[in-house]
Amino acid sequence: MGQTTSKPNSNLFQNSNFFSSYKRGFASSPSDDQNMSLRPSIFSTLRKPPVSKPNDFIPLFNDCISAASSRTQEYLLFKDPEDKFYPSPEVLTQVFLMTYISQSVSLNMTDAFNCTAMTPGQRILLGADWVWAVLEKPTKNPRIQIAVQVLHLPDREDAEENSIPPEAFSESVQIAQKESSNKTMYERMVDFCTSIGKDCYALFLFLGRKSDKENIYGVLSNNFEAAIGKCDKIDRAFIENFFKGSRYLHTPQGMMQAIVTKKEGDPLTLMIKFS
Amino acid sequence: MRSGGGDSSQGQIQIEPRSSKQMAATQDVKGKGEGGDQNFDYMFKLLIIGNSSVGKTSFLFRYADDAFTSAFVSTVGIDFKVKTVYKNDKRIKLQIWDTAGQERYRTITTAYYRGAMGFILMYDITNEESFGAVQDWSTQIKTYSWDNAQVVLAGNKCDMEEERVVSVDNGRLLAEQLGFEFFETSAKDNINVKQTFERLVDLICDKMSESLDSDPAVPTGAPTAKLTDSAPPLQQSGCNC
Repeated sequence: MGQTTSKPNSNLFQNSNFFSSYKRGFASSPSDDQNMSLRPSIFSTLRKPPVSKPNDFIPLFNDCISAASSRTQEYLLFKDPEDKFYPSPEVLTQVFLMTYISQSVSLNMTDAFNCTAMTPGQRILLGADWVWAVLEKPTKNPRIQIAVQVLHLPDREDAEENSIPPEAFSESVQIAQKESSNKTMYERMVDFCTSIGKDCYALFLFLGRKSDKENIYGVLSNNFEAAIGKCDKIDRAFIENFFKGSRYLHTPQGMMQAIVTKKEGDPLTLMIKFS
Repeated sequence: MRSGGGDSSQGQIQIEPRSSKQMAATQDVKGKGEGGDQNFDYMFKLLIIGNSSVGKTSFLFRYADDAFTSAFVSTVGIDFKVKTVYKNDKRIKLQIWDTAGQERYRTITTAYYRGAMGFILMYDITNEESFGAVQDWSTQIKTYSWDNAQVVLAGNKCDMEEERVVSVDNGRLLAEQLGFEFFETSAKDNINVKQTFERLVDLICDKMSESLDSDPAVPTGAPTAKLTDSAPPLQQSGCNC
């Protein structure tokens, strides 16, 4: 493929975090020996540090993404040998999100970095399937947000059109569609992020690409609206085009590191390989 | 049985923008709005606004689903629920928009003010800052919505008496100054939740009646009887809704 995957500062970052959490793990050992069997093992304690520094969540985020991507990949290429059973591509989105959420809760990171799944109405109004947010302490207000829209392989999306899920008929969904009928889902999410500002990123998450159906990629930017200024239409082709312009792919951890270290107000556009 | 379907441009009350000084309401007696259950006589678009964490989402959940959870989940951008109520045997579909209170979402939320017929402006009786922001929210309504939009001021979390920092009198006084109706409410204990919505719907109906009275070209009036959540047993004849 000729694509390289970067891991900026990964060792240094992981190691410093590892030792600090290791120390905390021992320092906070409870004295009572009751319920020993219910206590997590020392290894899980190491993996569940209280996220105290602003960017301590990044390696944990990486762990969550790793788990979610691996689980989703298990089903990415599923094909019924009898060609009768066609699970909705939406299932893949749900598998990814369920795995991510479960992991993030078990790693105790949601006070620093949370994930809000959108309601069916919000998915249409805002164009996002879920929104990640770096939270400010102690208010827990979002400081940085990443709105995520999942894109499936075109043939899967065609299959989805032929099997409209029941929720598509719900009143809420139809009202939401009416409210935002003149925009595509891509445009709605870009509009949503633009309305918030440069600290809100749009991430288009590709569960498989035509050229690599078994991996998960993303295009992230806080500057998609620049395309609108250039009269470019924001559609799938436009987003996929970003991969042609770059041979450099960030890791999820590298993506997050770039986001939190970026100068306020600056544009940032990245391509990421999540699996 | 009411009929549904048909032209999407009909069946919803149309209000002219704030440039018009009069709320001009038109309606098709049998609601034929686009989307979902199309059996309604009127569609009212309502918004709940106010500072972050005053309890807007909980208030809506209590009203629409009769549910409450103390876990705080900050609303992202905007969301909505739909609830149908009955007044004088007419079905009124309430499209209730729940807005995020944080400043970062202000561009999105104010975009939904246009076309709203009623607002519930909420503060938290245990949070002075949220009460102090009421004036600003009121200005937002005046700036972005119709002239004739109706507003009810709601002092939420009145179950937390021990932590109260805004007195009932101060809440009432501010509401009078702003020309709003006033309730103290609790989504948690289900106090005055339904009443707040009912009053807002009444105010909208009254305003519609005024407009219709002053515009003889409009054939029918607004519903005037008490609201209920259940469908009327029989279709009454001669209803002047």
